[in-house]
Amino acid sequence: MLYIKCPYCGYRSQNEFAYGGDATIKRPELNKEVTDKEWDNFVYLRKSPRGKHLELWHHVSGCRQWIKVLRDTNTHEIFNTYKSEDKVET
Amino acid sequence: MTSISPLNNVHDLGSFGNFEGKNSNEIITIKELKNFKIFQVVKYKTSKTNIKEYKIFDLNFPDDLKVSGNNDTRILWIGPNNWFLFSSSEKLSEETRKNLPNNEFAITDLSHSKAIIELSGKNLKEVLKKGCPINFNELNKNQSINSIFNGIAITLDFVNDQPATVRVMSLRSFGESLYHSVTDASLEFGYKAI
Repeated sequence: MLYIKCPYCGYRSQNEFAYGGDATIKRPELNKEVTDKEWDNFVYLRKSPRGKHLELWHHVSGCRQWIKVLRDTNTHEIFNTYKSEDKVET
Repeated sequence: MTSISPLNNVHDLGSFGNFEGKNSNEIITIKELKNFKIFQVVKYKTSKTNIKEYKIFDLNFPDDLKVSGNNDTRILWIGPNNWFLFSSSEKLSEETRKNLPNNEFAITDLSHSKAIIELSGKNLKEVLKKGCPINFNELNKNQSINSIFNGIAITLDFVNDQPATVRVMSLRSFGESLYHSVTDASLEFGYKAI
């Protein structure tokens, strides 16, 4: 069982969380002309890295907050967790 | 109109499981709590107000994972800027309207949407450990957590240490499943439904 440190609640079982996808994806700016290709990339194109990956997780059965988790996709080691509004360098 | 409690169909009174030859302190006591007022209070993201300035029935809004309470009312932290008010007082609605301005807080009446079970007994934490992945040895009186019990989202409110007493809340529609899970976990120690 993985334990994830929620920035609000502390260490909790992975069972309380839901995976929410890649946290490095940025939405195209509002009110800016966006090509079909750019929109397609934003919606569908994802890297699938082997190693460190910044992910979104939702503490759905806890405080119901979205958080960022820096995790190794190979070993499942969790290096750090952050609040959703925190800027994280990867 | 008669209100039907969420556990009306499953909460059979009596002693069950491995209760024989044990005194009342050794078995688990299970009680359904009903006719409580439950309000959810959420501070708006745009609100700059300090929550410490507000009180309900002279109770402060608690910090993370904590509960503040008196005989009638308990305020549970359930997330950042998010609390449950839990009261047997009929005046809770009036009190919240009076003390919490509606341009700073969103208030929702959840009184009929929760099933609440109160458990007490010295083996209480052993029962909860069977379905919930929390380290119960670190939890004490006046703490609250949201977690899961056999896959059902629950809120736990640690009301007392001596005797150990915990209120387990779930959505009303999950109440019967939760009750079955909790009573099943309690059979080993014996339980008395009151």
